[in-house]
Amino acid sequence: MNVTVVGTGYVGLVTGTCFAETGNKVICVDIDEAKVKKMQSGGVPIYEPGLNVLFDRNTKQERLSFTTDLEAAIQDAEVIFLALPTPPGEDGSADLSYILGVAKQLSSMIKDYKVIVDKSTVPVGTAEKVHAALVSGTDESLFDVVSNPEFLREGVAVDDFMKPDRVVIGTTSEKAREVMSRLYKPFVRQGNPIFFMDERSAELTKYAANSYLATRISFMNEIANLCEKVGADVNMVRQGMGSDTRIGKRFLFPGVGYGGSCFPKDVQALAKTAEQNDYDFKILKSVMRVNRIQKSVLVEKIKAYYGEDLTGVTIGMWGLAFKPNTDDIREAPALYIIEELAEAGAKIKAFDPEAMENVAKEYGDKIEMVETQYEALEGVDALAVITEWSVFRTPDFDKMKNLLTKRVVFDGRNLYSADQMREHGFYYESIGRTTVEIEKGVTV
Amino acid sequence: MNIAVVGTGYVGLVTGTCFAETGNKVICVDIDADKVRKMQEGHVPIFEPGLNLLFDRNTREGRLTFTTDLAVGIKDAEIIFLALPTPPGEDGSADLSYVLSVANQLSVLIEDYKVIVDKSTVPVGTAERVHAALVKGIDESLFDVVSNPEFLREGVAVADFMKPDRVVIGTSSERAREVMSRLYEPFVRQGNPVIFMDERSAELTKYAANSYLATRISFMNEIANLCEKVGADVSMVRKGMGSDSRIGKRFLFPGVGYGGSCFPKDVQALAKTAEENTYDFKILKSVMTVNRIQKSILVEKIQGYFGDDLTGKTIGMWGLAFKPNTDDIREAPALYIIEELLEAGAKIKAFDPEAMENVAKEYGDKIELVEKQYEAIENVDALAIITEWSVFRTPDFKRMQELLTNKVIFDGRNLYDTEQMREYGFYYESIGRSIVETKKESTL
Ligand SMILES: NC(=O)c1ccc[n+]([C@@H]2O[C@H](COP(=O)([O-])OP(=O)(O)OC[C@H]3O[C@@H](n4cnc5c(N)ncnc54)[C@H](O)[C@@H]3O)[C@@H](O)[C@H]2O)c1
Ligand SMILES: NC(=O)c1ccc[n+]([C@@H]2O[C@H](COP(=O)([O-])OP(=O)(O)OC[C@H]3O[C@@H](n4cnc5c(N)ncnc54)[C@H](O)[C@@H]3O)[C@@H](O)[C@H]2O)c1
Repeated sequence: MNVTVVGTGYVGLVTGTCFAETGNKVICVDIDEAKVKKMQSGGVPIYEPGLNVLFDRNTKQERLSFTTDLEAAIQDAEVIFLALPTPPGEDGSADLSYILGVAKQLSSMIKDYKVIVDKSTVPVGTAEKVHAALVSGTDESLFDVVSNPEFLREGVAVDDFMKPDRVVIGTTSEKAREVMSRLYKPFVRQGNPIFFMDERSAELTKYAANSYLATRISFMNEIANLCEKVGADVNMVRQGMGSDTRIGKRFLFPGVGYGGSCFPKDVQALAKTAEQNDYDFKILKSVMRVNRIQKSVLVEKIKAYYGEDLTGVTIGMWGLAFKPNTDDIREAPALYIIEELAEAGAKIKAFDPEAMENVAKEYGDKIEMVETQYEALEGVDALAVITEWSVFRTPDFDKMKNLLTKRVVFDGRNLYSADQMREHGFYYESIGRTTVEIEKGVTV
Repeated sequence: MNIAVVGTGYVGLVTGTCFAETGNKVICVDIDADKVRKMQEGHVPIFEPGLNLLFDRNTREGRLTFTTDLAVGIKDAEIIFLALPTPPGEDGSADLSYVLSVANQLSVLIEDYKVIVDKSTVPVGTAERVHAALVKGIDESLFDVVSNPEFLREGVAVADFMKPDRVVIGTSSERAREVMSRLYEPFVRQGNPVIFMDERSAELTKYAANSYLATRISFMNEIANLCEKVGADVSMVRKGMGSDSRIGKRFLFPGVGYGGSCFPKDVQALAKTAEENTYDFKILKSVMTVNRIQKSILVEKIQGYFGDDLTGKTIGMWGLAFKPNTDDIREAPALYIIEELLEAGAKIKAFDPEAMENVAKEYGDKIELVEKQYEAIENVDALAIITEWSVFRTPDFKRMQELLTNKVIFDGRNLYDTEQMREYGFYYESIGRSIVETKKESTL
């Protein structure tokens, strides 16, 4: 099949590359000329494990190509994916201007039947809006608009796309349904389902799933906060809960709040959809409030230790990306923590295996970034662990002790066992577990 | 081992019977002399699938006996389980008077080392309070208090107890740990974990798990409410969400609110624990609000159809138990619905496969209880489905058409396919799905 993908961000590029991998001829379109040029000369513009190999293979065999010219790109396409940004607008609702802008352009370009697919995360009713934009220039018989939300996770995006838990396709057109079935067939050979449904249900599914996961995280964060108050250990409570097969073990880790390019914006957008439809989504509102507060939890712990005024205090930071295995820092808790620490007068020395370049663009002048994990500990008063990268999980504790001027660790991801930290003589605060105090007689 | 179980309700009797089944000698103690006599004569006082068989076998073989005499019951016991009621007190906190009064009694009865196990669902800190009650009368070296919350579900209690997802044991005593390990060994041979932790974490685990599940239900109820507003279908959204392996398929069904003897009381008690520890558990508060509202949703639909005043209307009701496969009606949504319908002037004709006897005690004079499922829809104006018993899932729709002259159904459990209902010409309202309007030609 000939497939066009408009927008080559995380979602668009992975989508395009993976469809090329199953033998389709894919043209990717982006307005960002520099990006397109980079891709044309073989450069993958994002960090995503496993993407390089597929990208190379499919560009070499000419199943995957790039252009800035929308009209040329869609000429022969049977399916056009819109993988465009849908950032939060000022009121929290999803900004559809990218999507509707491209739909408008397409309306004067389409000459034969094409399936237009909303791959972006878009609110309930968007398929109809895209339809309306298209019908202003083309005949209804020349297209169908399908909602096909994407569930890939950054860091494992290629895997997720190639072996999805499920594929959700919202369409009421038999013709479009047939095309989409054909396209996705190679991806669901192991029996993972394709769910066909109406457009609105498909649109809502994506928001409901992300909002549910955000609820799960916020719930656990509240349990952790309560654990601190009553003297229980959230790590044990989590294991006790997660072994209930109805609850499940995954995604139950308390921390410094959810972040990233999806959860915060999707939760907010769903709350907005509810509001616009005159529904008071009570749980979601609480979830957002919890997350707002949770992002400050680590800074509060630091301030409780060093005092409100952090002038003269230097904090080493491990981790900046919103989660491990990505260079994405959109809405990363680290950014909030940096802001708050800087505001309180602290200096920051940070290390992240992939995200430093992105952080440098915005915060290059505000914080110091170092090349290795241990450099971030040199001469600092405390270490704050923000992202649970594997490399931080079993560090060299002796080296840490020697480098840190004060043996103080604030761990936003519960990476270390309390016993271990006690043995090594650290002052150690984590999330929802008792503080490890330094034993008497030991100087920090 | 010799075991005493104090309290022979759902939890106590199942616990005692199942421990007898693995070869222990179990004495069950209850203050209810009638109940004890009944059990001594070989009758199982509760409805619980599979329990009869084990009960018969173990009483016959002399491993399971009953008494009202606590002193006799515990004389030779190595372990004493407290499976006593912990109903909500006036302020929502768990009423510990049963547990503590038995602890007080025990404090003058114990003569050699015994492990005292809190099997009831009790708030954080209870193990310490039980310890304090015991230590008033006996030496500390004569006992350990262990928290071992029970996760069985009514309706599948025996299966849950015999093959638990996990066993949570809260103790800081090595000696008690060893005893508990030995006792539970036969139940975890397939590798399901026994998770050891401190008492407080164990106590919190039970509340956290139930509150999480209540959150899951309330979240889906809110999604369903939103679906109705935006014209999406919650059954499809549910499938799309549930196939995400981090979310899971189970326990995602919207309905008329959670009920039963555990969820409402445990959620409330956890909220109370949070309050007492000056933690504002935001999500939990929303969850409770959502559930309060959700219990009225079916009545609102009925009133939306017939008008607020239901005088002269008769509603047929299928299902009274708080969930299928139990006769338990504690905090059942059905009770709220009955109250509200009666208040609006409606008459009620109800059927439930197991719970009618229990309902008759409280509502015998207020509603009509009928012997058969189809009797409940004779001469009624509408059918309301409250509990998802299997027998309601594939009813004889032809017969329903004939008996239900108005052909109006309000389904609180989404048991039927909307297409099917359209074909049969029913007016059909369910939860989070579009209303099936009656075909023009059929007469209402
Ligand atoms: N990132 C994720 O993990 C993820 C997962 C699932 C869904 N989504 C959703 O997918 C959508 C895209 O997300 P993303 O993270 O890939 O975004 P992104 O910001 O990484 O990429 C968007 C791309 O679109 C390009 N673009 C903008 N306007 C354009 C135009 N008029 N024509 C052509 N190209 C244009 C941009 O240059 C950019 O390359 C969003 O709706 C997002 O919510 C993202
Ligand atoms: N029912 C469930 O599904 C379930 C599941 C897990 C945990 N729990 C928890 O287990 C505990 C017991 O619940 P249940 O449903 O079995 O309660 P229940 O009300 O069915 O049974 C309690 C029994 O204790 C007896 N009793 C009361 N005072 C006594 C005394 N002083 N001495 C001896 N016996 C006495 C009563 O006569 C009754 O038989 C509660 O804390 C509950 O929250 C219940």
